[in-house]
Amino acid sequence: MLFNTISFVIFLPIVIILYFLLPHKYRWILLLAASYFFYMSWKLEYIVLIVFSTLIDYISGIQMEKYKSKSKRLPFLILSLITNLGLLFFFKYFNFVSENFNNLFHYYSISTEIPLMNFLLPVGISFYTFQTLSYSIDVYYGRQKAEKHLGYFALYVSFFPQLVAGPIERFSQLTPQLKAKHDFSYKNLINGLRLIVYGLFIKMVIADNLSKIVDQIYASPEKFNSLDILTGISFYSFQIYSDFYGYSIIAIGSALIMGIKLMDNFKTPYMSKNIAEFWQRWHISLSTWFRDYLYLPMGGNRVTQKKWVFNIFVVFIVSGIWHGANWTFIIWGALYGVVYMLETLVNKAFKIKKEYKPYSLTHILLALKTFVFVTIIWVFFRSQSFNEAILIFKNILTNYNVNIDMLNIPVTTWTFLVFFIISDIVLYNSRFDKWINNIPLLPRWLIYSLLIFSIIVFAGVDNFSFIYFQF
Amino acid sequence: MDRLLVKNIAIRIIYLVLFLVLSNYIYSNWFFEKDIQEYSPVINRVRSVPNDADIIYIGESSNTTFRDNDIDKRPISAMIADFFPKLNVYGITKEASHSGIYKILLSKIPKENTLKTLVVTLNLRSFNAQWIYSDLETPLQKSMVLLKPYPPLYNRFMLSFKAYDIKTNREREAQFKKQWVKAELVFPYKFPYKNVKEWDGGVYHSNILDSEGKKDYAKTELSCHFIKAYGFQIDTLTNPRIKDFNDIVELAKKRNWNLVFNLMAENTEKAEKLLGKDIIYLMKSNRELLKKYYTNKGVLVVDNLTLVKDEDYIDQDWTTEHYAERGRHIIAANVSKAISVFYKKYYKQIDYKSTYKTYFFNNCENSAIWNQSQTISSDFAYSGNKSSKIGKQDYYSITLEYPINAIPDSLKNEIIVNLMYKADNVNKDLKLVFEFHKKGANSITKYYDIEYKNNNWTKFSAICTITDDIKSYDLLKVYVLNKGSVITYIDDFEIVIN
Repeated sequence: MLFNTISFVIFLPIVIILYFLLPHKYRWILLLAASYFFYMSWKLEYIVLIVFSTLIDYISGIQMEKYKSKSKRLPFLILSLITNLGLLFFFKYFNFVSENFNNLFHYYSISTEIPLMNFLLPVGISFYTFQTLSYSIDVYYGRQKAEKHLGYFALYVSFFPQLVAGPIERFSQLTPQLKAKHDFSYKNLINGLRLIVYGLFIKMVIADNLSKIVDQIYASPEKFNSLDILTGISFYSFQIYSDFYGYSIIAIGSALIMGIKLMDNFKTPYMSKNIAEFWQRWHISLSTWFRDYLYLPMGGNRVTQKKWVFNIFVVFIVSGIWHGANWTFIIWGALYGVVYMLETLVNKAFKIKKEYKPYSLTHILLALKTFVFVTIIWVFFRSQSFNEAILIFKNILTNYNVNIDMLNIPVTTWTFLVFFIISDIVLYNSRFDKWINNIPLLPRWLIYSLLIFSIIVFAGVDNFSFIYFQF
Repeated sequence: MDRLLVKNIAIRIIYLVLFLVLSNYIYSNWFFEKDIQEYSPVINRVRSVPNDADIIYIGESSNTTFRDNDIDKRPISAMIADFFPKLNVYGITKEASHSGIYKILLSKIPKENTLKTLVVTLNLRSFNAQWIYSDLETPLQKSMVLLKPYPPLYNRFMLSFKAYDIKTNREREAQFKKQWVKAELVFPYKFPYKNVKEWDGGVYHSNILDSEGKKDYAKTELSCHFIKAYGFQIDTLTNPRIKDFNDIVELAKKRNWNLVFNLMAENTEKAEKLLGKDIIYLMKSNRELLKKYYTNKGVLVVDNLTLVKDEDYIDQDWTTEHYAERGRHIIAANVSKAISVFYKKYYKQIDYKSTYKTYFFNNCENSAIWNQSQTISSDFAYSGNKSSKIGKQDYYSITLEYPINAIPDSLKNEIIVNLMYKADNVNKDLKLVFEFHKKGANSITKYYDIEYKNNNWTKFSAICTITDDIKSYDLLKVYVLNKGSVITYIDDFEIVIN
């Protein structure tokens, strides 16, 4: 059940109405049932995985809390890690690792072949396993008390708005809100609806229309000239942003109507002055997860220069691997490591300030520079293989044949893209629901009307899934 | 809730209603048609049917598919017109479609249309699980959303929010495989297999041998395919096709149409050769069920199931309803005979072996009968509203293709052509062309320059002599060729052979 389908348009209001009609003590049952139903709408069988993962982490948490010594807690943490990472490995990375081993065997003329598995990747597995892992690790370190109520714990793992593509919430942040009694709030309803409408707009009108152009380019880059490919890869930067940002704010808006505040996952990332800032604004729930559970435990930046460089690369490469089982994702992560290092060196050498006045010329130039880096690096993320990425770059650098004009971009696509870029600049360090609240009534309603009309009339009609669902 | 809140909500609801009405108006007037052309162009096949129809024949590729060496390549619908020369018979063809698609297309036939008899293809194979859960279903369903009988904005909303049956190919495959296990096959005698899956497996592992005594994999695969295609028993309560055909029955009643279900021929000869009486039992029992079920609902069911011989099926290694010329002739004759009950006065007995035509006329108002009908345009017309527009990329005008070998030699001495034409400008590239084709011989082509006149409709006439060496040729093609860039219109194309 995608957010941009009629099923969700029917499902969400039913859940919200029942939520406020039910006495507080039964609401967790409703939300858990709704979340499992939501998850089962993809593939019935995969509910077993999420229930299994929930039970293991629930039991591990309770067992860990029984012991004060870390050494006695450790086996339960390992159980949780093995279970979650094992499931993730099996479903997401097994074929990738097997294929690479098979290639190696083939190279050394070894006749062994590891068989490949033929199953669909369970939707959202990377998200909910990371969410439960953070709980287990926090309980292990004593930062978090174990949850005794299995229902609430299961709901923390599976809360439907953020189940399949985040934001990846911490237990301490989400569960108290799930347990708290929320009365119906008109303000929450309005703000939630504002976010949902804006999210649907940027997903269905911006991302899905850009997708048609991007898909053409990546399907056969050799057919397009340099300018077309540059246009296509720039469009992808906006496509993936509007796609994932759209999903995130629909999730945030849906939860907000029920009084539950999820963390912001994006803060106008293309307005970042450097890569470090980009990662503080892009997929924030994942980057803070890596910071708290990987980078800082490895020592962060309070280590030797060499170790710090190592830590940075580990974090970016693991982030790449998290995204997908392909060498292109590993290269994508590693490239961020390289650019991060380069920028750190250049900033130090030229004593570039960290802060500039928003919208100043320097800010805009630095943001453009970041956008160019990110766009180039996205090529590896979007390409199906390393060779495809190289073909893209090769055509950018060599195919200047202006007589080839294969790319037909509708005027509406350009118009909406420009609108999106302007809106993103306007929303710098803000969020749509807060921003529009300060707009006078008539223009505000005019904006709502235009957004809703555009969603209905200009949405891409193919079955565009959310890009991050594949992770 | 306090009063202010109620007032706030009421204002918003009123605004929402006004907004939706205005949006629907804007969308209907400025965007809807463009979307229709982009996402549901199939509607043009209904729109191209003139409003003076007597009979409409709707079907899938079985209507139009022909074998390369067919002399008469016309669709079944055009052949039916031979039997009712004074009636307007038109065809609507949508490849790979089924009753669920027909019912939406048929609901789009304008009320002004004088249609009296509707012939709907009843394809037995379309009731099987593999077709019901075919991977073609998602694009088909998508193309129907904008055509549903609701306000255009609502339809676009449903299209934007993917309110149609979307499934991946993998999901569809899982659906029909599940059905192959779930649906138990019931025979009036002992049958070794419980369902399609078991039957398919049994046959696959059996020893079907070729002439050299080796396992014949091609034949085995084809046998398995026949099992999957025809190994089912229609449940009128659950089969989705039944509901769709029932909706067509209701629509026909509402519109006061005579309704005919044309149960298409299937290759029973090959089925029996491959799998024996068991598969035939299923095919025939499904046929009887459909005949009885729809006859009781007042529908005239035409039974073609066993009429076409194996050799007249175009696809010999697959199950389709694609018939070669003789197969299409047989079906056209059978349907025409059946519907003659509605048109006793107009029905003309035709024997395709001995009957021939010597007079042909096309004023471009009926696009179904001659080839190159895509050139028909409403820009200008000498008579009626349409003409054939050629030039730039469309070189060939509407084209008569006729099996001239059907005409006795003594009766074919010359071909007289009269036509009206109009060019935008001086056009020196215009030619009337006669092509004669014969199997195993080089074709003969004769060109006649069409003299440029002026920007008004002008008459052009030509006479082509059929010399003795041409008389033995099989096929005649007559058309106007325009390889130049000046757009030219052709209308009232008359051809007489005498």
